[in-house]
Amino acid sequence: MSLIDTTTPILSARGVHHAFGQTEALRGIDVDVHAGEVLAVMGPSGSGKSTLLHCLAGILAPVRGTVAYAPPGLNPVNISGLGETERSRLRLTDFGFVFQFGQLLPELTALDNVSLPLLLGGTKRAEARQRSEELLERLGLNGFAAKLPGELSGGQAQRAAIARALVTSPAVLFADEPTGSLDSLAAENVLTLMLDLVREAGTTVVMITHDARTAAYADREVIVRDGIISAGYRVPA
Amino acid sequence: MNPAVLKMALLGSRSSWGRMAGIGGGVAIGVCLVLLLWSAANGLAQRDARGAWLREMGQTSVNVPLAADGRTVNGPPEPIPLTPETILLGSLQDVFRDQVISHRDIAALPGATVKIPGIAAPPAPGQYYASPALQRLIESTPAGELGDRYGKFAGVIDDSALPGPDALVVISGATEAQLRQGPAAMLVTEFTTNPYGESAGLYRTALLVGGIAVLFPVLLLVSIATGLGAAQRRERFATLRLIGASPRLVAGMAAVETAIPSLAGALLGVVMAVAFRPAAAQIPVNGTRVFLADFTFGAGFAVTAVVLVSAACALVAARRTARTGIGPLGATRAMTEKTPTVWRAVPLLAGLAGMATGAVLTKVDTDGIPWTSALLIGGFALTSVGIVTIGPWLTRMVSTIGLHRARRASTVIAASRIRQTPVATFRSVSGLVIAVFMVSVFAGGISAIGTVETPEARPGLLLPTSVYALVAPAYTPGQVASVARSTKELAGIRDTTIGYAKTPLGQGDTMDIYIAANDAPSLGFGDPGSDKIVSFDASFLNAWTSTPVSLAAAPLVSLEGLVPVVMVVRTDGTPAAIDRARTALDASGVTATPGTSPADLAIMSNTRLIQGLAAHAYIGVFVAVVVAGISLAVSTAAAILDRKRVLGLMRLMGMPVSVLRKVIVQEAAVPLLAVLLLSVGLGFLVAWLMISSFGGGRTISWPSTEYYAALSFSLLLALAAVAATFGLVRSNTAITATRFE
Amino acid sequence: MNNTLALLGLLGREPSYGYDLKHSYDRYFGVQKPLAFGQVYSTLARMFRDDLIMALGEESGGGPDRKKYEITLTGRDKVRQWLFTPDVPSETLQSELFAKTVIALLLDDDADGLLDAQRAEHMARMRELTRLKRDADLLQVLMCDHGLFHIEADLRWIELTSARLTQLKKELQSA
Ligand SMILES: Nc1ncnc2c1ncn2[C@@H]1O[C@H](COP(=O)(O)OP(=O)(O)OP(=O)(O)O)[C@@H](O)[C@H]1O
Ligand SMILES: [Mg+2]
Repeated sequence: MSLIDTTTPILSARGVHHAFGQTEALRGIDVDVHAGEVLAVMGPSGSGKSTLLHCLAGILAPVRGTVAYAPPGLNPVNISGLGETERSRLRLTDFGFVFQFGQLLPELTALDNVSLPLLLGGTKRAEARQRSEELLERLGLNGFAAKLPGELSGGQAQRAAIARALVTSPAVLFADEPTGSLDSLAAENVLTLMLDLVREAGTTVVMITHDARTAAYADREVIVRDGIISAGYRVPA
Repeated sequence: MNPAVLKMALLGSRSSWGRMAGIGGGVAIGVCLVLLLWSAANGLAQRDARGAWLREMGQTSVNVPLAADGRTVNGPPEPIPLTPETILLGSLQDVFRDQVISHRDIAALPGATVKIPGIAAPPAPGQYYASPALQRLIESTPAGELGDRYGKFAGVIDDSALPGPDALVVISGATEAQLRQGPAAMLVTEFTTNPYGESAGLYRTALLVGGIAVLFPVLLLVSIATGLGAAQRRERFATLRLIGASPRLVAGMAAVETAIPSLAGALLGVVMAVAFRPAAAQIPVNGTRVFLADFTFGAGFAVTAVVLVSAACALVAARRTARTGIGPLGATRAMTEKTPTVWRAVPLLAGLAGMATGAVLTKVDTDGIPWTSALLIGGFALTSVGIVTIGPWLTRMVSTIGLHRARRASTVIAASRIRQTPVATFRSVSGLVIAVFMVSVFAGGISAIGTVETPEARPGLLLPTSVYALVAPAYTPGQVASVARSTKELAGIRDTTIGYAKTPLGQGDTMDIYIAANDAPSLGFGDPGSDKIVSFDASFLNAWTSTPVSLAAAPLVSLEGLVPVVMVVRTDGTPAAIDRARTALDASGVTATPGTSPADLAIMSNTRLIQGLAAHAYIGVFVAVVVAGISLAVSTAAAILDRKRVLGLMRLMGMPVSVLRKVIVQEAAVPLLAVLLLSVGLGFLVAWLMISSFGGGRTISWPSTEYYAALSFSLLLALAAVAATFGLVRSNTAITATRFE
Repeated sequence: MNNTLALLGLLGREPSYGYDLKHSYDRYFGVQKPLAFGQVYSTLARMFRDDLIMALGEESGGGPDRKKYEITLTGRDKVRQWLFTPDVPSETLQSELFAKTVIALLLDDDADGLLDAQRAEHMARMRELTRLKRDADLLQVLMCDHGLFHIEADLRWIELTSARLTQLKKELQSA
């Protein structure tokens, strides 16, 4: 079985190389992410997972290779060929991001944190707040909208971050160890809530994790080793 | 403290180098400015001391015999004879172009014992001693415009008797008879050394106010600089606490960590002050510089400043660290400040109350000068502090309103941040707010003094292009007329007019001056009609007369039998011609007063002195604004650096850099604008309180254009300071900023 | 663990006598429970019968302890088949996987690949259990979690082992 599927992928990386000075973080990555799937990216520390995610999301422009993004029903665009402004725009409108921790602005309430991407996109404040409130409610944060991040538990903050990532209804959600700082139960709660939401909306998810139980929530996983994707091995025929 | 821990405290990370450089730089600028200010204060005090003798008024040189009732004058004044222990001193203010020359005429008996400052012996009649600056001026000017006024150069006046290197002072010799002709020759036995007359209080107050105005932003800069990189430091201290450092150890480390760069900075500041001293001494105050030797701060003061500043920085750092209560888990939750309350209005109100009381007391109790001046200065200082104290409260109110109405992401972020940390946010602009307050105080004060406008030619008032001098009593009409004739020959002189009166100058009680009717047009009067002799009131000559004097037909057929009392020279209005007229009059020997033009009032009046003071104030404000601008840039940079991870993540999520910039701008603009109006208003209120306590019936009016310029300059500088940090936004929120260290 | 295949794998390195084979086996896998000679010889006989190994040299008439055996091509295929067929995660998996890894390293075969294959199998099982959890009642969830944690433990071992393969190989070869 080949990793590269025949159905049109929403994200498709070909021959992606990236280096930080002398450090070669990615050394020729080919990977397809299919619309609506939840893909887990695993691999040892320092293998290049985060770098790959950044390349896929247009945060970093790879030194070599292409990353094509094909929004449903639209022609693919080569993300790596876009300028910084266009990539920012794309990230704002089409992508969502969740990180391990520390991504909420500490001086904004949970509600304002969540409505921020909508405001950036030009939505009216009242409407933005209302949509954010609904989402927070779905994530079980009814009573916490007015709280500052410093007053939330790790799991609550992470759910707020997920709400912020999903509030713009992105096509792809990128998550870098979204449950890395949570205990098993909190991690599970956060994950199920997140995945229920994304599956319902048909959002594609690329999720880095080093935790097998987290990866088990995905439809598929790829393993990055030393900057390349090591294929799931099958007995040679 | 364990040396290993100390080393770690200092060399915690590469970024701590940057922080230490920031602290050192801020402290260096602060200490340098403090030392230069102190030097300036010393220089001004020295200058006043050197020039004190010029204030000597002496005693009257005549005895006025009184009638038995002790009140009415009985007979002409009798001169008090000169002795070897006394000299006769005539104090004059000569004008050359737009400069005032302190002119002292001295007549002394041979072998007089009075010590005249700056010269060995009294000059012989017809000779003069001049300050080097004046002598240079005399030598570079045609004698007919200046040099002829004083006679023959006998030597220069020693620096010890000159306020500054630019001082224009001349001591000329005269005969006793010549001096006694004039109105104001006084007997002097000893020259005073008290530099301040009755205006000492005002003068000192102004100086202190200026000092406070400049010192305030400097202290703020130091305090902001020592707070640089606080967020990073908190994290590091939290780690140390986690591995077992006691709170006291951490506070101690913070102290050492701040003390060392502050000490280095303070020492650098001393070096900078020494280096900049010659340049700073070039700044003229009231038109003259001070001697470089006077512009000095002294080793003792420097040592005290260095020790005090470093110790204060260390203590503040330790206290801040102890108060943040950094636990092993960091101080993240302690980030929220205490919400500012209305109590913050108290110092401001107290300060205003103090000033108001002072102002009222001056009206009620004229003897209470020391008291009221303390109230005024204390109240002023308290008001300045009060503005800084009330700032966070106002800022928070404004940001709360702003947050409710915010539409855009940048406004939401900025307003939320300000609401959470109003004290820290306001601190970064407080320097500018204070500077604006100071500018407003000065501008208000200056507006009250008002400018003496250059007079315009109006019929019934002496022409501004004319120069007049009163004629000494002893001269015949013929002598005076010949002087008038020779003067008229000079270049640039249109005509000369002699005014006559029934009695010589200072005698008799009528003030009417008679002229030939055909001379009337040259004095600027209209057509005199058919009369041959016309008269007008002597107030015509006074520059401060503002209602035109009218010409009257005199009941006389000729000027025979009248005495010449005044000579008026009409020039073509060029500065050279005016000075030629002055010189001709002064050198003629028939005049009792220096040649005077209506324009001299503006040059000689107190206004000029106070305007000089105002110029000084603007220099101070300029320094203050620049320092405040640096503070703003430093603290804006700190605000970016402290948040670079979160801001980086926001950017990574697609927030454009422009939004981040808007956030930064708003975070500076909101506190600035929230308090700016208040400080402008308070500035004028304070100025009004001060002015009304100084008395003199002055009132505040609209400020001059300099004020608006200074205000715009402050705002532009604020903008520039914030814009200067824009570069940091992009580089520090790049993807690498989001990596965990 | 499958002794037969482990012995067959060891034979894959080089032809050897039953006696040597037993000692190799004991060194790698029999630290706690060495193999009995009888068991070695009976296994060899069975493999001989199944054409997985063949006897070498003249002494073909002697007893099994006199013979030197060599693996056949069929035997090699059988070993590879075993190595690269991931096992269904189970309690007894550990020793089997360990044996496979060691044999693969000894044979200079792709140990990395076999671990990846096993990981994929484990992940598939975990996904299955995770899916089951979604609509299950709490008791079933607990059951699934139990399974998940065990599989995860294996996975962690796999992870660690694959990270240490190079080091392990060096050690085995120098032993
Ligand atoms: N900004 C950077 N500058 C220099 N080197 C970098 C940078 N970012 C990543 N690297 C290097 O690139 C390699 C891959 O890093 P990356 O962050 O992608 O690893 P990762 O798989 O996400 O690791 P982890 O699981 O520990 O997060 C590492 O060797 C790392 O040191
Ligand atoms: Mg990573």
